[in-house]
Amino acid sequence: MKKSPLALLVTLGLLQTPSVFAATAPLDLVTPVSDYKIYVSEHVDTLVAETQKFTDAVKKGDVATAKKLFPTTRVSYESIEPIAELFSDLDASIDSREDDHENGVKADDFTGFHRLEYALFSLNTTKDQAVFADKLLADVKELQSRIADMTFPPEKVVGGAAALMEEVAATKLSGEEDRYSHTDLYDFQGNVDGSKKIVDLFKPQLQKSDAAFVAKVDKNFATVDKILAKYKTKDGGYETYDKVKENDRKALAGPVNTLAEDLSQMRGKLGLN
Amino acid sequence: MKDFDSSNAPISAERRRVLLGLGAAGAAIAGASLSGNALAGSTSGQPAPAQVTEAPKSEKTQDHNEFHGVHQSGIVTPRPVAGMMVSFDVLAQDREDLERMFRTLNERIAFLMTGGAVPQVDPKLPPLDSGILGPVVTPDNLTITVSVGDSLFDERFGLEAVKPKRLQRMVGFPNDALEAACCHGDLSIQFCSNAPDSNIHALRDIVKNLPDLLMVRWKQEGTVPAQAPLKPGQPPESARNFLGFRDGSANPDSNNQKTMNELVWVQPGSDEPAWAVNGSYQAVRIIRNFVERWDRTPLQEQESIFGRTKAAGAPMDGKTETDVPDYSKDPEGKITKLDSHIRLANPRTADTQKNLILRRPFNYSNGVNKNGQLDMGLLFICYQQDLEKGFITVQTRLNGEPLEEYLKPTGGGYFFTLPGVVDNNDFIGRSLLAAATAVTTKTA
Repeated sequence: MKKSPLALLVTLGLLQTPSVFAATAPLDLVTPVSDYKIYVSEHVDTLVAETQKFTDAVKKGDVATAKKLFPTTRVSYESIEPIAELFSDLDASIDSREDDHENGVKADDFTGFHRLEYALFSLNTTKDQAVFADKLLADVKELQSRIADMTFPPEKVVGGAAALMEEVAATKLSGEEDRYSHTDLYDFQGNVDGSKKIVDLFKPQLQKSDAAFVAKVDKNFATVDKILAKYKTKDGGYETYDKVKENDRKALAGPVNTLAEDLSQMRGKLGLN
Repeated sequence: MKDFDSSNAPISAERRRVLLGLGAAGAAIAGASLSGNALAGSTSGQPAPAQVTEAPKSEKTQDHNEFHGVHQSGIVTPRPVAGMMVSFDVLAQDREDLERMFRTLNERIAFLMTGGAVPQVDPKLPPLDSGILGPVVTPDNLTITVSVGDSLFDERFGLEAVKPKRLQRMVGFPNDALEAACCHGDLSIQFCSNAPDSNIHALRDIVKNLPDLLMVRWKQEGTVPAQAPLKPGQPPESARNFLGFRDGSANPDSNNQKTMNELVWVQPGSDEPAWAVNGSYQAVRIIRNFVERWDRTPLQEQESIFGRTKAAGAPMDGKTETDVPDYSKDPEGKITKLDSHIRLANPRTADTQKNLILRRPFNYSNGVNKNGQLDMGLLFICYQQDLEKGFITVQTRLNGEPLEEYLKPTGGGYFFTLPGVVDNNDFIGRSLLAAATAVTTKTA
C-alpha cells in the first residue's frame, strides 16, 4: 500500500463519528483491508496473464483454445468485481452484456468478454475479433494499473461481500451472465469465492460482535459450495448452466438470497458508513 | 400568494373539503418555517389547488381487516381497487423449515394487515422496511390470503397423506396457451388493498423477511375500476372487465353465510381432511384479452357472445344486472344464445347450482406484445368448496365458447386456501402441519 495505515484511515474519515456498531476499532480494519488489496492485486495479475493467452488464441484464429480459456479467464474478474466495478468505464468495456446496449450485439460499444463470447460460442468464429481482443487486453491492463494506484475504501471492500452475492442473485441464478457459452458456474464460483474471501478477512472482528451471524453466513456459503461441487468436471471446470437441475437452482436461491440479505448488514456491523 | 389559476381547481366536493383542511394546516406550517412553500394556501379565502407532487388524499388508509378469524380474509371480503397474485416456490428444506416459513408469514401478515410504526435500526444497517408507506405502515384495507399448491404435497415435506382431495396441478384447457413461467407454484399469496403500492409494500416485506424460505415464481397485479357511489335504492353493480362488461353478476351472495358454507368453505364431515375445514379451493387464471379485436367487434355481437347487455349488464331478457335470466322460456337460444358465455357458465338449473363459484377477479395490463397489441386481460380468481364441481366443471362447459376467439389463458394455477388463523395461539398452516405430524406419528 502506498499510504500508511493511519493516513489511510484519516483520509477515509474512519477516525470520526462513533456509532452503535463502533465496536470495531478502526485500526482493526487496516489489516483486512490491506490483505484484501493483496488478494485483488494477485487476481488482477492473473487476469492480465490469462487474458493475454485468451486474446492471443482469438487473434491466432484458434477457436477451440479461445473457447476453452474463456470461462477460466473471466473467473479472476468475477472474484474482484466489487473493486473492478469502481471503474465504471472499464467495467462497461470489459464486462457489459448484450442487453446493456440498445442495439444489442450490433452496438459499436459492445466490447469485452461477452463480445468475444458471442463471436466464439454463438458464431463459432474469431473472424474480425482481433480489434475486440486488443481492446480487452488493453482494458484489463489499464484496470491493473488503476488498482495499483488506488486506495481501497474499507466500506467498498466490506460492502463488496454483499455486492458479489447481489451479482449472483441478479444474473447467475438465471443463467443470463454467459448466455452464449453457458459457463455461468465459473462466474458463480468466482463471485462466491470473492465474497467469502471478504467475509473471512473480517471474520475476527465479526466473530467478536456477532458469532451467530458468522455461523449463519458460513453455513450458507457451505451449502452453496456443496451444490456447486456437484457440477464440477474432472478437469477442474464446471458443467454448463443448462445442466443444473431445477431443484438445485432452487436450492441455490435460498442461501444466495439469504447471503445477500445478511451480508448487507456487514458494513453496519463493522461500524462502517 | 396570488390568486391561483382556477382551471387547476379540483371539481369534486370531497376534494375541495380535503383541500380546505390542508389549507389550514399548510398555513400553520408556513408560519413556522416553510414560508414560501406553496402548500401555504391562498390568502383570497379560496383554497389553492394542490401542488403537483402533493400526495393524493385517501381517507381509507387506516381501514383494516381483522387478521384473526375462522376463514382467511380476502375471499368474501368486498374486493378493493388493487389486487396482486404472487406464486412462490417454497425453498424450505424440511418440515421444521416449513413450520418456520408459516410462522414467519403469520407474523408478517399480522403486522401488515394491522399496520403500525416500523422499528428503527442503526442507520448503518439496511432499514427493516422498504419505507414506501412511510415510517408508520398504514393497513389500507389490506388482506393477505395464503394458499398452497399441489406441489407442496410432493415428497419434500411428507405432506402427501394430508393433501386436500381435489387439489391437483392445473391442466391446460383446449384454448389455453400456458407459459410455464407463470403457472403453478408451491404457495400462492393474494394481496388486496386500496392501492397497488400497499400490495407492493406487503410483498416486499415478505420477500425481505423470508429469503431462505420463499422465492417468487410469478406475479400478476390487477385493478378494478372504481365507480361513483350508488344512488339510494339503486341495486349494486359489478365492476367492469377490460372487455367493458360487468363481471361477476351471477356471483353467489357473499354476505350469506349459509350460501358461502354450501359453495365456498370446506365443511366438517365432508371427505376432505379435517384440517382443511374452513379452507377453500382457489383457481387462478391469467386470461389475456385480445382487446383491439374486441373493440372492432359490433356491439350486438359482443352482447350476444356474453349474453348480457354491455351498458347495464342486464341479461338479454332483463333490464338490470341483478335480473335473473329465464332460460326455460328460451330453449332454442333465440334471446340468449345457447353458447353465450353466461348461459354456458351458469345454466341456471337446479342441477348446476352446485357448480357456482365465487369470482373475485382483477383486470391486468402488462405492456405491449411484439405485434404492438396491448398485453392485457383478466386476472381471474375464484373460490369454491369443490374445485372439480366448481371451476373445472364451469370451464369445461365453456370450452369452445365463441368468446374464446378473444381470449387466451396463459397462466395461473390451482391452490388450496388455508383455514383462517383463529387467535394468537394459532398460525397460518398450523392445522395442516399438525395433521401431517399426526399421520407421521401414527405410521411410525
